[in-house]
Amino acid sequence: MLRIGASLAGCLLAASLFVPDTSSAADITLGASVQLTGPFANTGRYYKDAYEFAVDQINEKGGVKVGNQQSKLALKIYDNQSDVNLSVRQYTQLASQDKVNFLLGPFASNFAIADSAVSEKYRIPMVQGGGASDQIFSRKFKYIFGTLAPATDYFQSTVEMMTKLKPEPKNVALLYADDAFDVSVAEGTRPLLKKAGLTIALDERYTSNATDFNSLLARIRSANIDAVLVAGHETEILNFIRQAQSLSVSPKMYSFTVGVPSADFRKALGEDADFAFGMTAWLPSASLKDKWFGDAEQFAKAYKAKYGYEPDYHAASAAADVEAFAQAIEDAGSTDPQKVRDALTKLNFDSLYGTIAFAEDGQIRLPQTVIQIQGDEVVPIYGKQGFITQPKYPMPAWNARQTTGAGK
Amino acid sequence: MRGKRPGPENSEAEIQTNEGIAVNLLAQVLLNGVLLGGLYAIMALGLALVWGVLNIVNLAHGAFIMLGGYLAWYLFTGLGIDPFLGLPITAVAMFVLGYLVQRLLLNLIVRAPMFNTLLITFGIEVVITYVAQLAFSADFRTINPSYAGNNVSLGPVIIPVVRLMAFAAAIVLTFGMWVFLLKTRLGRAIRATAQNLVAARLYGIEPRHLYATTFGIGIGLAGMAGSLYGAVSQINPYIGATLTAKCFAISIIGGLDNPLGVIVGGIVLGVIESLALLYVGATFGDVASFGVLVAVLIVRPSGLLGRTA
Amino acid sequence: MTKSKLSIGATAVVVLGMAAVPWIGSDVVVQFGINTLLLAVLAQSWNIIGGYCGYASFGHSTFYGLGSYGVAIAMAQWNLPFAVGMCLGAVLAVIFAVLLGLPILRLKGHYFAIATLALALAMTAIVSNIAIAGQNIGLVLPPLNNDPLFYELSLALLVAATLTIFWLTKSRFGFGLIAIRENEEAAAVMGVNTTLYKVLAFALSGLFAALAGGIHAYWITFLDPDSAFDIGLNVKMIIMAVFGGPGSILGPVLGAFVLSAISEVLSSEITTVAGLFFGLVVVAAVVLMPRGLADLFRHFRVQGWRYFLNNIKSYSL
Repeated sequence: MLRIGASLAGCLLAASLFVPDTSSAADITLGASVQLTGPFANTGRYYKDAYEFAVDQINEKGGVKVGNQQSKLALKIYDNQSDVNLSVRQYTQLASQDKVNFLLGPFASNFAIADSAVSEKYRIPMVQGGGASDQIFSRKFKYIFGTLAPATDYFQSTVEMMTKLKPEPKNVALLYADDAFDVSVAEGTRPLLKKAGLTIALDERYTSNATDFNSLLARIRSANIDAVLVAGHETEILNFIRQAQSLSVSPKMYSFTVGVPSADFRKALGEDADFAFGMTAWLPSASLKDKWFGDAEQFAKAYKAKYGYEPDYHAASAAADVEAFAQAIEDAGSTDPQKVRDALTKLNFDSLYGTIAFAEDGQIRLPQTVIQIQGDEVVPIYGKQGFITQPKYPMPAWNARQTTGAGK
Repeated sequence: MRGKRPGPENSEAEIQTNEGIAVNLLAQVLLNGVLLGGLYAIMALGLALVWGVLNIVNLAHGAFIMLGGYLAWYLFTGLGIDPFLGLPITAVAMFVLGYLVQRLLLNLIVRAPMFNTLLITFGIEVVITYVAQLAFSADFRTINPSYAGNNVSLGPVIIPVVRLMAFAAAIVLTFGMWVFLLKTRLGRAIRATAQNLVAARLYGIEPRHLYATTFGIGIGLAGMAGSLYGAVSQINPYIGATLTAKCFAISIIGGLDNPLGVIVGGIVLGVIESLALLYVGATFGDVASFGVLVAVLIVRPSGLLGRTA
Repeated sequence: MTKSKLSIGATAVVVLGMAAVPWIGSDVVVQFGINTLLLAVLAQSWNIIGGYCGYASFGHSTFYGLGSYGVAIAMAQWNLPFAVGMCLGAVLAVIFAVLLGLPILRLKGHYFAIATLALALAMTAIVSNIAIAGQNIGLVLPPLNNDPLFYELSLALLVAATLTIFWLTKSRFGFGLIAIRENEEAAAVMGVNTTLYKVLAFALSGLFAALAGGIHAYWITFLDPDSAFDIGLNVKMIIMAVFGGPGSILGPVLGAFVLSAISEVLSSEITTVAGLFFGLVVVAAVVLMPRGLADLFRHFRVQGWRYFLNNIKSYSL
């Protein structure tokens, strides 16, 4: 029994030493470990789709010019099953065994925090478009870059807009989930609200994945709060809005950090999504010109044609990650990780995602545009230059909404 | 009038005193807790039945609730069948599924040590979750009938209609289960089988069929719970594990000996959670639920309605 | 005499061979090795309370998490060295095991299992509210780029755990535990201090789980309540122990290695359906070989393929 056991264990270990190398030599391989299954999969899959889309498009336009050669991009994607520990092991595998050239990131800040330790250890640049929390960039790592704007700035344009609304909201509720990203958002929003002279009547951290917002909503109603800002996840925000309706809670306005730009969120809520504010650093506008896709509008159209759903800023951010590498490799004229890493720090070019340029800590800086769901559409309301369209404000009571009464 | 709903031009707040506000808030939160308790009771009923009667601890219970939710969603968006009216359809379909699972799979390990059922149901949970993800994608779904957001007001308190209906359904189903187990022939046969396989044959019903029927009923109940859950919250392939954990808490707090236990367990849990969220902090809901569960297990493991061991 | 000397010799060779892996294997193998060794430690720790004592704990991840947080808080918040963190984690786990073990070990059967599971769930919720633990965001530890060190530490811990179990099988304490497993009332009547023994077993078992958690935390350099008290780990360690053969000295280690290998291969080859296959493997294992690999090897020679059928026949309704 002992001998069988020992030999079995020995065989297994020995077998795993000799896993064949299947990567192809001429391509430049980008590796990533993404949430394709598990609770984060509904957003994680946007990253896989967008990475593939961008790589295919760049290859179609001739690939990446390295010195005198044109090289094609290749992708290697693993499913981390929404498990942080597995994603760390997979990035290690990508770096040390699969020997990919560069790394693309996962979705979500807590994954990015853990996985950036691997890119730093192996000194391979990672450009991730899924994590916005400050913690990712506060460790002074040199090999991590991010295309999501800082979490602390998410509500900046919203707060600015709030000071210009008539009647101005008198008190504000700030609700946020207890994960890295949302806590960062809240930390950044508090001083913004104070500076704008708005009273924070309710400041509550709630459990991630909470399904019950009845107590919070009862407090909002009882304190007559004018504006509600929620930093959380799509499923929580969905529950929040549905429960607000069932408890007849309708503040003058509410704004959410996620959900509003995403098509399946709006589909799930149907008409109940109306009037909700959100923000996005990206809109599929024709004014965002791109070397490979033409412009953002064409990107969005082609994306929808291929995948059947409209891309939101997650997908655009992921595509931007691939483009950042393509541009950096061309600028560096080589695929040496060090040189490409240095080229990434100096990047400054226009793309379908806007201007891609990383600040000193490795994170992009992009302003958020305030958007609102009006009827069936997502309408940009307020940006750097002030109001773009008039917002529908204040929000009417639930039973006073003009609804068609039809099912969703 | 106190019954006026708050709106943008609301001036009631200026008229009410601070104590008035606090009492109204408490009343609302208590009501929320009780209604939530009704939903919890339906969720846990199937688990408590199978556990208390058959001694099968089903870790996949939440996954079956999720499947019931998807079925109800397809019935609603595809065929326009209302989630409440469609409850019998969901119940029957899920009953068949449960019957097959027990008859073909779980019956194979009934006489094995208890924690084999824990392990196998865990495996089943993983399989169901993955199959659901492959079949339905990771998108979340909601069941949104036109009355989903309606409510009635009773004084200063607002009662959401769907939760009220779910609560009523919970009472009906739980009492129905109680009557079924205590008064009908099949119900008595099920209870007899759980205690003594030989005696059960005296009822003339084959034990394998009986076990499968009981499990089927349990899963049918889970399916119905899923339908209601989808109308109140949202469904995605991964809600199974959290729901199972909640159902355990409810079943144990109420006590497995008595089918009425889930109502007590559900309401107690719903109220404690709501109060904790209000008075302690919005991150303390789970602390309250699982803390109470641990406390009940230590102090009175047979539950609030159970006979003391 | 010669036979046991051979066994010891063979074991020593295997251990030395495994200790050499960081120098002959690739990075990925070392990572896989660390992960598997830690799982094996967990399976062995469960073996003490579940396999030998018969109290199937479903919440050992509580101790694992306490060990992880002990190390994390000591290193990230108080800037203490790793060894101190490990001691802190170990102390936390033992205190917990004694304080909560006393009331919980009075429960039997699935009530005990559910109580331990509830404990793990409650700990996750409680820790996500504790400021010094970083609440739900968790903590980031100072990075240490030394996989071989973690590998050797994990291997050493596994050897320690296995030697402890070996000692158990020869000691009065171990016999007491087995007596409790077989018939607790009879054991009490025969003079075994069941409460003391159960709590000691629980604490010993929790100690190893905590040490494994501590190593894991430092290795990954990041933890949060969900990953530290990972509920899925509970099932994994039980499956590994049961698959390998509970109540045996090497069974859980074998179970851990085989199942880990299967899982890792699946995750890197078939990826999207990896989880699905794992679930199917679990279901199949419980139905076809509920007494574990050890039992399988023992009886397969005699019964052949009918072994599986016999299992089903003896346990089915």
